[in-house]
Amino acid sequence: MLVQDVMRFPVVTVEPGVTLEEAYRLLLQKGIRHLPVVEEGRLVGIITDRDIRLATSRLNPKGACPECAPVAEVMTKEVVTAHPLDPVEEAARVMRERKIGSLPVLEDGALVGIVTGIDLLDALLKLTGVTEPSGRLEVRLPDRVGELARLTGFLAGRGINIHSLLSYPEDGDRVRAVVRVNTLETHLLAEGLRQEGFEVLWPPKKPW
Amino acid sequence: MVIYRDEYRLYDFGPHHPFSPVRLEMLVSLLKALGVWREPLAPGEATREDVLSVHSERLVKRVEAASRGERVPDLEHYGLATGDTPVFPGMDRAARILVGGTLEGARRILAGERRVLQLGGGLHHAQYDRASGFCVYNDLSVAIRHLTRAGLRVAYLDIDVHHGDGVQWIHYEEKEVLTLSLHESGRYLFPGTGHVHEIGRGEGLGRKLNLPLEPFTEDESYLEVFEALVPWALGAFRPDVLVVQAGADAHHQDPLADLLLTTRAYERIFRLILEYADAYTGGRVLITLGGGYSLDAAVRVWALLYHTVHGLPLPGALPEGWLRAWEARLGKPLTPTLHDPEAPYPEIPRRREIEKRNRLTLERLMELLRTHLIH
Ligand SMILES: [Zn+2]
Repeated sequence: MLVQDVMRFPVVTVEPGVTLEEAYRLLLQKGIRHLPVVEEGRLVGIITDRDIRLATSRLNPKGACPECAPVAEVMTKEVVTAHPLDPVEEAARVMRERKIGSLPVLEDGALVGIVTGIDLLDALLKLTGVTEPSGRLEVRLPDRVGELARLTGFLAGRGINIHSLLSYPEDGDRVRAVVRVNTLETHLLAEGLRQEGFEVLWPPKKPW
Repeated sequence: MVIYRDEYRLYDFGPHHPFSPVRLEMLVSLLKALGVWREPLAPGEATREDVLSVHSERLVKRVEAASRGERVPDLEHYGLATGDTPVFPGMDRAARILVGGTLEGARRILAGERRVLQLGGGLHHAQYDRASGFCVYNDLSVAIRHLTRAGLRVAYLDIDVHHGDGVQWIHYEEKEVLTLSLHESGRYLFPGTGHVHEIGRGEGLGRKLNLPLEPFTEDESYLEVFEALVPWALGAFRPDVLVVQAGADAHHQDPLADLLLTTRAYERIFRLILEYADAYTGGRVLITLGGGYSLDAAVRVWALLYHTVHGLPLPGALPEGWLRAWEARLGKPLTPTLHDPEAPYPEIPRRREIEKRNRLTLERLMELLRTHLIH
């Protein structure tokens, strides 16, 4: 999944000379929290609802004047951006490391979209397959060649379609696989997997 | 009044599929052996138009083509030709016969009938544009739509162990339909939905209720939350009619899920449903079957339902001849009494924790609904 699959466009932007008040109204009206600032088609900064609230709060002794201060005075000038062909996990990592809530997406210098934390949550939902009617299997596998193939081969042999398959490393030498499968019969699958020697964590064995 | 015809058993995905017509054959033969079978009303088939009242034309076209044995390349996009919902010759008609039964139930209610038991149907997973989880067409939604088009407010109660997702999504934005599903949590179990936060959208907001329960929930905890939630919701919504999907797969013997209800809980649930209907809908209630994949358990649960609806005294032991015949045919022993034996499974060590979490889920749901009240 790439940034271009989850980004929003067209992007709502402002020019640097727009007042903080006007920018804040725009944020409210559009129901968004991030405004890239564009001058002659070039991205020159980004401003968020939080930036404006902090800058204009009466608790801020050097508070800016909402009706007269321009966006340029408060915006972040060094904007972290993404490319449409970046993998989503890379966008997530950058946002997490830099503690920022959005990434404007640039292609050949032009602003073509924006990705926010919400879009990444949507991506996560899609990746986990919960948007399709499905059951969930959780299997612990040895971290070595061919184990995942053994698992998916078993499911294929039973005629089970896999909606999604996530796997992540557990402590040391094991991998956890979370599979969403298109079937009501996850219990019978789990039983079959156990008979084949798989360590199935969910669904659990009934205690009798 | 009971609605049934033998052709319900044409809805058959093959000998190894859990949604087996043998369940109906066993049930009817048991009721006959017990001497309580009364001639049911035989419904007609639902028409294509009836089905189109809740499903897309493109889904129906594919079901029809697959029924005729035509090769259709994109069936899987419509939830068909999958392991759960394979296609078979005559599937369209078989599904329309089941829909016809539930729809006939709705018509009877409009004609003044009060208690209607449809011995089939309950295909609650079928969605507007997709077959799913053994369900081709959604008989419940076709019946519900028929009732709302006649100006009635419908409360739908789903006690199948799986979330009633198809019915919920089809009526998600409708204000005249309350859906209420108690099910094992979708965190792991199919179809993965039915979270407390799914409470409807638009005009339907606050009118779709979900109570996801912990795996290994037992009678006492189930009844506690059921009795707290259902009359409260019905009292607030004030429906004209109650439609119930009475799946039997929350029984502890069911091979597909993990709730641990016994027949004693089912008896209480069925009695409560009839009481609630008397109290909130002038007695108008339409009940269908649903999931239930242990032949032994599902047949006893639905026999219980049949007796309760008719106000008949419950038998203790099941008829000897019937037991012998079916044990021979299935090649395994059957429970010899209508009710489960006392303490039919070992004690569950996490019991208190499960009860607590179910209570908490109920609280979260009611808390959410206080701000989106359902009148
Ligand atoms: Zn079910």
